[in-house]
Amino acid sequence: MKNRKKWGLPVGTLLMFVAAAVMLLTSTVGGARAALTFYSEAYTSRMQMRNIGVTLMENGREISWRNYGQEADGSWSSTENELLSGLLGEGETLQPGKAYKEELAVRNSGTIDQYVRVSLYRYWLDQDGNKLRTLSPDLIHLKFAENSGWIQDPDAATEERLVFYYQSPLGAEETTPALVQTLSIDPSIASHVTQEEREENGGTTIVTTYDYDGVQFRLEAEVNAVQTHNGEDAIWSAWGRQVNISDGILSLA
Amino acid sequence: MKRASKAIALLCAVLVAAASLPSALAYFTTYTRAQGGAVLHLGGSTHITEEFSNWTKRVVITSEAGSQPVYVRARAFSGSQYPLTYSDEGGSWSAGDDGYYYYNQILNGGASTPELLIHIDGVPEKVAEELQFQVVVVYETTPVRYHENGEPYADWAQALKTGEGGGEQ
Repeated sequence: MKNRKKWGLPVGTLLMFVAAAVMLLTSTVGGARAALTFYSEAYTSRMQMRNIGVTLMENGREISWRNYGQEADGSWSSTENELLSGLLGEGETLQPGKAYKEELAVRNSGTIDQYVRVSLYRYWLDQDGNKLRTLSPDLIHLKFAENSGWIQDPDAATEERLVFYYQSPLGAEETTPALVQTLSIDPSIASHVTQEEREENGGTTIVTTYDYDGVQFRLEAEVNAVQTHNGEDAIWSAWGRQVNISDGILSLA
Repeated sequence: MKRASKAIALLCAVLVAAASLPSALAYFTTYTRAQGGAVLHLGGSTHITEEFSNWTKRVVITSEAGSQPVYVRARAFSGSQYPLTYSDEGGSWSAGDDGYYYYNQILNGGASTPELLIHIDGVPEKVAEELQFQVVVVYETTPVRYHENGEPYADWAQALKTGEGGGEQ
């Protein structure tokens, strides 16, 4: 009692101080253990860094990626190539209705397991490069693979945006099944026409002008990856989406 | 003493928050993105060329460079007194049930069809006075459509363009 009077500290405050000290001490011990392990492994085997990296694949080809640097010095290796660059052959023009192969998948190009999601954006640009809001993105058809392990997030869907989560953890160097299989333009886009009748060369010509001649469709793909450790919290923190993970399989909450 | 107590309590709170901070910042994340697109070229222009000799019209339909691929069909009209006979040398035209003759191939931009020969029958070899009648050639094109499996087809319910040739005297 004399001591408590001398220090003037309530018991609660004292307990909190002790708890804080213990927590700090524990975290320090953890670091010291990690450091010890680090040095031990350096003598016995090659060091394996824990890096995260993700790559967007298009028709089996690496299109863009962002990988944490092998030196673990905070640097990133990243590249962004153009999507759909191989859609049309030399001299070929885009044909409405025709299904073009457009297999989009994700590869884990890091060294730790990860959960991945893909956000796809579809829209139209006019001849001047401005977004064409009068033309529905639904005219850009994407055929999605069935039972491939990808699930769509209906809450995140807009007319332009579609968001998909891959349910299983993706191991290092593993590639998901294709999320998208084909891309096609709805043929009904050619039904929007303006007709003009002309008298020329002794005959009558009816000229049909397509209202959407020269428009450009655009497709954007954004891939996100996050660690599987504490997956639910990590996804909630990084992506702002609540998910449930049971036996490693992700489902939307 | 009260001030010391508050200071220690505050220190405790900071220490506890600091102890939990590393785990909140430790999530490994990354991302990548790509984009692309293609321009949609619709429409185009075709024209008909006719040559007339020996009571035969030689019809060629040409698609201008840059035009989208189309299917072509053509037919001619004449009085019942002068029936018409169609032919072509390469077998590139086929008779349809609707009176049209269909070009069997896809006509790409910058290309022309082979000649479709339309012979006017029933014309007397010698005429006493000037003979006047008309044979009108009509052709239509429609853009090539594709099934999902990539197989092309024609949708004649959506004809792209109609042209009419002149008559003969």
